[in-house]
Amino acid sequence: MPEDLYYEENHLWVRDEGDLLLVGMDDFGQKMAGDIVYVQLPDEGKKLKMGKKFAKVESGKWLGKVFAPVNGELVEVNEELETNPGLINEDCYGEGWMYKVKADDKAELEQLIKGPEAIEKWVLAEIEKYAQE
Amino acid sequence: MRGDMEAKYDFDRKFRRQVLQCSRCGFCQSVCPVFGFSLRPAYNARGKMLLLKEVMDGTIDLNDELIETLFQCTTCGACEENCPSGVNVPDIIKQARKDMVNIGSCHPAFKGMHEVLENHSDIYAEDDLPDFGRERNRKAPYVFFIGCVGAYREEEATESILDLLDYLKVDYTLIDEVCCSGVLGDVGYSINDRLAEKNVERILATGAHTLITGCPYCARTFHGKPEYQKLKDSGVKILHVSQFLKDFDFGVTTSRKVTYHDPCDLGRHCGIYEEPRETIAKIAPDFVEMRHNREKALCCGAGGGVRGAYAANSIAMARRRLQEAEEIGAEVLLTECNSCVHNLANAKLRKQKVKILTTAQFIQELLEEEDKI
Repeated sequence: MPEDLYYEENHLWVRDEGDLLLVGMDDFGQKMAGDIVYVQLPDEGKKLKMGKKFAKVESGKWLGKVFAPVNGELVEVNEELETNPGLINEDCYGEGWMYKVKADDKAELEQLIKGPEAIEKWVLAEIEKYAQE
Repeated sequence: MRGDMEAKYDFDRKFRRQVLQCSRCGFCQSVCPVFGFSLRPAYNARGKMLLLKEVMDGTIDLNDELIETLFQCTTCGACEENCPSGVNVPDIIKQARKDMVNIGSCHPAFKGMHEVLENHSDIYAEDDLPDFGRERNRKAPYVFFIGCVGAYREEEATESILDLLDYLKVDYTLIDEVCCSGVLGDVGYSINDRLAEKNVERILATGAHTLITGCPYCARTFHGKPEYQKLKDSGVKILHVSQFLKDFDFGVTTSRKVTYHDPCDLGRHCGIYEEPRETIAKIAPDFVEMRHNREKALCCGAGGGVRGAYAANSIAMARRRLQEAEEIGAEVLLTECNSCVHNLANAKLRKQKVKILTTAQFIQELLEEEDKI
């Protein structure tokens, strides 16, 4: 898990790229999902409400909900995922990026998981949670 | 050669004549959805029959190497429909899959589905049936049975059907339903008695005279499987929602160009082709058929467990069906199966503007547009 990224608790990563935020699924998420076969790519301009579902990801019988990491607007989607959703499995922090979001207020990023200590604590808790399941 | 030795497998015992009846003409190839996207002859019915004949002859045996071939079939029945020799391919495939499972050769996704239904109440192991804001398990003349895909994947389609039934003032109840488990019979296993008993008991407890379902596969299972015979014996009428809706007038029409996709489970497997079209004719004067329709309809690729085991291939098959909708310039593609809606919607490319909905969803949308609700 790269330590320079922000993480949403449902395993989305967020990279601050200045004007826009780049969003994708983290390695833990893609490994849990398995071979991804479908990524919903909503129309650009969609308003996003922090913590609300705005898209779906599927792998076989598994369905993942994508929750908005911040309030804002969807400004671009990775159209490559339409015909090659496996890019998320192959390169989740690079070619497999999912969405570009214009945040209403970037200060909301501070509510996400950030920094080596917080990330480690969160990932360990997640491992334990899934191990119990 | 086997000679007069005892048949080793049930598919041989039950379907030997059928397998030998395949004249290898290849008519099945032109209509097989799996061949259509893969262009691999071993995947269509003829290829499968040739392999099974070799198993009967003893030149090869059932084993893991045949998983890719025998388990990659949507059991859509297009081959059977197009077979001049009258070979009942889906039943042969289902039996061969059971033989495979009996010797321990099974696709892991199907084995997983069997295990999930041993321990859970739905194929997704979610065990959290949404109530859609409706009462469950009350006394009512009608029961509406949602089905797993409608409950956990296409909730909006289910919401629309329920809203439409409310608009039509149908006195229905939902129940604490569990998976009908019919799909297990397609993927090498058998209906789960525990689940079937729960459904039968809960349906009968409502005192309903009619069971309506939005899922063609559930309708098929309730109609045809002995585990659900008690419903019929108790006088419960079983209807797919398309059969129920055809008797209503909705007072709305659309100017949009509409087409209809026949779900295999409703069309080829239940013979229900006209009822959905009767309803659509009332609301969509600009209706146009796709190149392959009714008995010749092209499968969307979701059936026979293939959506679970070979999801990417399912989507590739659905893209071929969407091309047919594009060819005729359809703006709206209606269907009567949540699995078809799900798979076709997943396959739709962003540049394709066709809307994919169930008929009930579309009617509900028109009613809302005209402020009738």
